[in-house]
Amino acid sequence: MKRKKKDFLFDTLVTLIASFLGIIIIFPLIYCFLSSFKTPSEFLNPKLLPSSFLYLDNFKNALERGNLLRYTLNSFIIAFIGTVVRMVLSILAAYAFTFYDFKGKNFFFFLILGTMMIPGDVLLVTNYLTVSKLHLLNTYLGVMIVSFVSASQMFMLRQRFKTIPKDMREASSMDGYGDLWFILKVLLPLSKPVVTTLFVQSFINLWNAYLWPLIVTASSPEMRTVMVGITRLNSWEDENYQLVMAGVCISLIPSIILFIIMRRNMKKGGLDGSLVG
Amino acid sequence: MGNNVKSLKKRRDNRRVFLLLLPITLFAIAFVYFPFIRTIINAFSKVNSKGVVKGFAGLENFIYTYSRKDFLPALRHTLTIALVNVPLTLVITLSLALLSEKKRKFSSVYETMFTLPMSVSMSASCMIFKSMFSPSVGFINYFFSLKLGWFESSDTALFSCIILTVWMGIGFDYLLMLSALRGIPKSVMEATKVDGISLPRRIFFVEIPLISPTIFYIFCTNLVLCMMTSAPMIIIMGVSAESSATNTLMSMMYQSGFSSSDYGLAAVLSLTAFVLTLLFTILSFMTERRRVHYEA
Repeated sequence: MKRKKKDFLFDTLVTLIASFLGIIIIFPLIYCFLSSFKTPSEFLNPKLLPSSFLYLDNFKNALERGNLLRYTLNSFIIAFIGTVVRMVLSILAAYAFTFYDFKGKNFFFFLILGTMMIPGDVLLVTNYLTVSKLHLLNTYLGVMIVSFVSASQMFMLRQRFKTIPKDMREASSMDGYGDLWFILKVLLPLSKPVVTTLFVQSFINLWNAYLWPLIVTASSPEMRTVMVGITRLNSWEDENYQLVMAGVCISLIPSIILFIIMRRNMKKGGLDGSLVG
Repeated sequence: MGNNVKSLKKRRDNRRVFLLLLPITLFAIAFVYFPFIRTIINAFSKVNSKGVVKGFAGLENFIYTYSRKDFLPALRHTLTIALVNVPLTLVITLSLALLSEKKRKFSSVYETMFTLPMSVSMSASCMIFKSMFSPSVGFINYFFSLKLGWFESSDTALFSCIILTVWMGIGFDYLLMLSALRGIPKSVMEATKVDGISLPRRIFFVEIPLISPTIFYIFCTNLVLCMMTSAPMIIIMGVSAESSATNTLMSMMYQSGFSSSDYGLAAVLSLTAFVLTLLFTILSFMTERRRVHYEA
């Protein structure tokens, strides 16, 4: 009895400490949210709380004058199509590696996995030269094209596909169904948790990208992504931070929503540890 | 007969495999391997301002880069960020994970708070920190009654960058640590309870050795991240190229590649960062063999 009480006290104490640390960790986000409701003159006084949460001019200005509406649309198109292409390529490759035996299998497998060894930032300048030679500067395709290969995604899909019995594919091909039918009707429904997690993860990644979109869309402000856009909000007037914070809030909405969905999905699918890699 | 059918099927299979693997291989070659090789070639060549190779340069680019006045500071900043950030992140995320290891009534609340930074993009976090740490209107100086310049003064800029990179890394690394700790077999933990091992002993002699593969993984990925991805932060924080107190190898590479179109210099810098990172990774793999336990 006494022990139970001690445990309870200990747990409460830990919960309190952890919550306190948690608040410190998310403090920048709280700060950003609160600041986005401040008027310009309020912002000069560095108090935490705005006088009212009804002052929405920052959001309006960010979307209209800062052109964030257009940038959000750009980001959405890039993140969505980029993720779809990436998923299709990874699924096709993972399928080939799991269900076919062929010459040079290991070679191709390591050729694709090897891309993980080379950090994208090393390739920045030369990829820029390639993309500009292909006349893809300031286009959606130019922003997306370098992220079509995701070796880690391919690898994770293959790990999942491997757990699906090969007999299932043989049965379906005996019934006269092709590869595509098998992928769409059997493989993907069976791997739904992994596919969803990877989709969300990839969307967040592409949505959050900064350096590459900045370089590729440098000469055409219309084509910027939202992440590039928010860093430009305070350059036309000095220290317009309340506007920037509103822009940051807007840019964070999709990633935080998707993040929460992903966490739920991972917990449900028991995939908490499968993110490694 | 049977053989014929088999070889027919084999040929059909090969054609299919070819079609399935073609797209991803094509993009991997065009946008990873080809640019990588081209970076190496550029480093050893005379490259004009349009990016066209104009002959072999030997080690000229390397000598030019390494004798520049801004090279050593950039190298020092890169290494400082990595050497401070990596252990700091490990300690912080491990402590948070140990604290929240046991599932409690409200554990999902603080778990979410600990992991939330991972959904925030680099540019968003830079802008938030820039505003929060602003010397004139920032909340941090106001709250702690400080008069520091943070990102805007050359004494504190590097330190501020480290705070920012640690913050950005917490979420994901914490998640990895937590799932590793929760993955320790229940029987092990129960055995330590039966044996009456004290809490610090349990943490240092049982749990940490058991999750050492994860710790090692976080160590390596963080090292690569710190060495290779510092450019956006330095660019957004708006510290100018020459007089910068935070210039890193990668931000210098960005400047030379996109502001002054000096592709030879850019190639040497990115290769230098890459090779250094590779060396560190190999070194850590060598020590890993002695230190990391893979049983259980």
